Amino acid sequence: MTTLTERPTTIAADDPRLKDSSATRSYAVLGVLVAVLAVLPFLLDDQTETVAVRTLIFAIMAVGWNLMSGYGGMFSFGHAAFFGIGAYTDAYLLVQHGVSPWIAMVVGALISAAAGTLIAFLCLRYKLAGPYFALATFAFAQVFLLAVQNIDALNRTEGFNVPILSEDSWTMMQWKAGSPLYFWIPLGILALGLLGTIWFVHSRTGQYAQAVRDDETAAASLGINVMRVRLVTVAASCALTSVAGSFYTQYYFFVGPEQGFGSAVSVNAIVPAVIGGIGTIWGPLVGALIVGPLSEWIADVLREPPGFLSFLEGLSGLDVAVYAALLILIVLFMPKGIYGTLRDRFRS
Amino acid sequence: MTDPTSTATAPAPEAPPDRGTQRRTSEVAVPLGVMAAVVVALVLVYAVGQRATDLVTQSIVTGLLLGGVYALVSVGLTLIFGVLGIVNFAQGAMLTMAMFLVYEMTTSGGLPVYVATLLAVPIMFLFGVVVQAALLNKLTLAGSHEGPLLVTLGLSLLIINVLLMIFGGRPLRVPGSVDGSVEVFGAVASYERLIAFGGALLVAVALLLLLRRTSFGMSIRAVSANAEGASLVGVDVRRIYALTFGIGAACVAVAGGLMAPFLSLTPTVGEQFTILAFVIVVLGGLGSVTGALLGGLVIGLVQTVGALYFPGTGSLILVFAVFVLVLFFRPQGILGAPQ
Amino acid sequence: MKKLSLAVVGVLIVLTAAACGGYEPAEDEVVIGSVHPLTGALAGQGEMMHEGAQLAVDDLNEAGGIESLGGDSLVLRAGDSKGTADAGQIEAQRLVSEGAVALIGTYQSDVTANVSAVAERNRVPLVIDVAVDDVILEQGYEHTFRIQPNASSMGRDGAIALAELSKANGKPVRTVSYLHIEGAFGQSVHDAFEKEAADQGIDVVSEVTYPATNFTDATTQVREALAADPDVVVVTGYYPDSLLIAQAVRSLGGDVDALYGIANGGFDDSAFPADSGPAGADVLSANYHYAATDERAQDIRARFEQKYGRTMETSAMLAYQAVVVIAQGLEESGSKDPEELRDAIADLEIDDPLLEFGGPIAFDEAGENENASVTVMQIRDGKVEQVFPDEFKTADIVYPAGRAAGAKE
Repeated sequence: MTTLTERPTTIAADDPRLKDSSATRSYAVLGVLVAVLAVLPFLLDDQTETVAVRTLIFAIMAVGWNLMSGYGGMFSFGHAAFFGIGAYTDAYLLVQHGVSPWIAMVVGALISAAAGTLIAFLCLRYKLAGPYFALATFAFAQVFLLAVQNIDALNRTEGFNVPILSEDSWTMMQWKAGSPLYFWIPLGILALGLLGTIWFVHSRTGQYAQAVRDDETAAASLGINVMRVRLVTVAASCALTSVAGSFYTQYYFFVGPEQGFGSAVSVNAIVPAVIGGIGTIWGPLVGALIVGPLSEWIADVLREPPGFLSFLEGLSGLDVAVYAALLILIVLFMPKGIYGTLRDRFRS
Repeated sequence: MTDPTSTATAPAPEAPPDRGTQRRTSEVAVPLGVMAAVVVALVLVYAVGQRATDLVTQSIVTGLLLGGVYALVSVGLTLIFGVLGIVNFAQGAMLTMAMFLVYEMTTSGGLPVYVATLLAVPIMFLFGVVVQAALLNKLTLAGSHEGPLLVTLGLSLLIINVLLMIFGGRPLRVPGSVDGSVEVFGAVASYERLIAFGGALLVAVALLLLLRRTSFGMSIRAVSANAEGASLVGVDVRRIYALTFGIGAACVAVAGGLMAPFLSLTPTVGEQFTILAFVIVVLGGLGSVTGALLGGLVIGLVQTVGALYFPGTGSLILVFAVFVLVLFFRPQGILGAPQ
Repeated sequence: MKKLSLAVVGVLIVLTAAACGGYEPAEDEVVIGSVHPLTGALAGQGEMMHEGAQLAVDDLNEAGGIESLGGDSLVLRAGDSKGTADAGQIEAQRLVSEGAVALIGTYQSDVTANVSAVAERNRVPLVIDVAVDDVILEQGYEHTFRIQPNASSMGRDGAIALAELSKANGKPVRTVSYLHIEGAFGQSVHDAFEKEAADQGIDVVSEVTYPATNFTDATTQVREALAADPDVVVVTGYYPDSLLIAQAVRSLGGDVDALYGIANGGFDDSAFPADSGPAGADVLSANYHYAATDERAQDIRARFEQKYGRTMETSAMLAYQAVVVIAQGLEESGSKDPEELRDAIADLEIDDPLLEFGGPIAFDEAGENENASVTVMQIRDGKVEQVFPDEFKTADIVYPAGRAAGAKE
């Protein structure tokens, strides 16, 4: 099978011989990173915090997506399905049954993992790979989107509003607008996701998954249960993405079919990972940190453009156009992603 | 596991009939089977479908005409996806771009819409060549799948928003071409849509001739079947890639021009066709022009006749259900080469 | 590795810092935030609405600003929802952080649902210019107000108007076929119509829904609607789909008394008569509408066209009106405190609405405009004219409409 990712010939972190030291180092980096990021709420104003939170949601999705598509070699173009399941499970259980979002998060993750495993099983059973696999996952996400729009119990196109409480509540995961907890919770989820990724990459299953990605036939001949390894990877990936969805509902107080299952959501999971570097631990995070604030930042510059650009003021569409051009340039000139390219540079 | 995805093993577009008898049989038998199945399904709808006869006829006529439009968009994509292996997410945006080109030429230039369409073809062709040569060739040659996908995604955003900057977002209308409609078996079909349907057939025939009868077409098929081998025998793969993408874009130009008269033009009008075009391309078989034509008609029928029973988005669920089933059970599509 | 993570953190900090340069309002400024889709599929509408709001701000400032605040001038800050709910929320939050005392917006129901939650949690008033879904104001939010009629009241009023105008013209409607777009908007307008229609002696003999996406040919759906042989075909939807439907009705030679839009985003748009040609002749539309009989509204529209080079649609007039509501609220409260502004808006009564409403703009408990109502428009000689009720008439109604004759050309 052709690999979707660069073969990890130079990735020391993936080399079992260096397993322990590289894992330890990754854990240490993660610790430092989380500690640094954790102080951000004290430095940011409300407005920037909303951008930061969205960036973290992107990052969680991208880290989740990366497990399946980067390490598992199964390019998913339908992660909206799992994000949506998380978002809707949370909304449905909370609004209709008053269930705490913490529980809903776990339930959503389980449902997502199950759904993802089933979809992946079908796709792999019928030997879909590469763009076919991508299109199949895309089709499933679309079917979910259309189905939700036609199910009365899920309010059809109406979506769900999360009731606003007058008091802060840990059980209901709700605090006053701008509370740092809205930053720390996704940061915690992201940290767990990255912790899981590091652990997974160095675990036996993770090593198998990468072996299967790189050469399925060889892996199978070594006695690796290819299907099992792949499905485990998919389940983990979908569960993590689902948690991002549940948090989305809690943070945005509203979820409709497009917000949960729209194809734009799938794109949001892919773009940061590819820009940062897929099949790497830190790539998705780096990508999200760039993509998340990028469009806001461009919009900001164009809102109050410096003198020589003043003719551009108020021209609608320009910020997205610039964003799109940057996306193209990054993919063209840094095909391994920003993190992947920089890392190779530092190595050599 | 054999990988149906890499360009190296992708079925050649419109492989020559001398590939072997098995290929030849399936080339005729499968599409005939599909058509028979469609006809049987339609007969069933008439017989036991409990819908008024004239309504069913209308939905079939509408479905076929709609299918023609879908086919127009898909024939370009099937080349790009089949030969280059590129999941071109900018297909819909390129369609929109062609429509606005035609709009500009008809409103500012005062040209009749179908003349403008002819003029749009070389412009879009050049655009396609440049896109492939400047942006995609490197990634395609490196065998990357997600790279081109992201570039075309970015390109699509870029086109949409540049159009938005130039034309604004209010719906625009290309001034009338051929007003009026004709009755077919009691069903109404507008001239504009009939012309678009005829255009789809013409484009398909022209592409088939190009692929089968010219040495250039042979090079495309050779590159599609085995890029490395083709380059060894002296085919300039980069050039073929660029020209193929150009042809794909030119097809979209025809589609845009023929569809512009009956659609309200906004910068996002083409987006809705991208996803359906992928469904159709996979359904028809990668790189197969006749497959795209047939696939377009089937999807058009499924959507409109299906809407009699599953109104609203229900018929789209049907479309995706068909898509997933095809992926699972006949991933090479109606007209693709068997694995 | 260490160097690399340092680099990453560095990049992050630079980016964050870059994203920070927020806006600081001056002492004598009052900021209003306007959240509309300035990019994406609905950019055309969003831009125009933002311009409508901008014109209102310019007019008010020219007239001396907010008197009770010592002549402080209004500043309109733009937020781009991009047509998506999460971008809408981020922009709304940004505008509030930049000191907006009130928000207006947003054209789309799902984005509005999000932005109204932001308004509620930040305790800043949101005046909805356009967003039709009933549910938005059913959340018990105290800071959200809506000027336009909601979906169900438009369905109800549309049924009443149809019954009355057909009776007045000697051909009372008995049966209608209802074509509507799938989703909450189309469904709730239809449901309210059907309920009221039953009381008015009108029977909905056929309900046909069509999808909001991938809808490029309406022939089958229209044929289905016509198959029930109704007196009138009623349509609820957006611009492109309504255009397709009008054309299909014509090409199918639909022999009906009228094609009648309710809350229809196409039929009374100023571009519709030209785009639809003969298919649009005599089409009726029950919708909220700018006050075509009011000189002030006419003047605003004329200046809008002069300034921005395009026709001012009703949605832009609603955005203008939303700014006026906030300005009035500021005058009453004499304070830049959003909470006091909210209380003032809740008690407001604006006697000279720029829309053709049955009475002054005043908000009920839920935040709905009590006197929001629909007017019936008809396309006459390539122009959208108000034809019903009589007090708002700019032209005489043609009923039954001459559609059948037009179709046989």
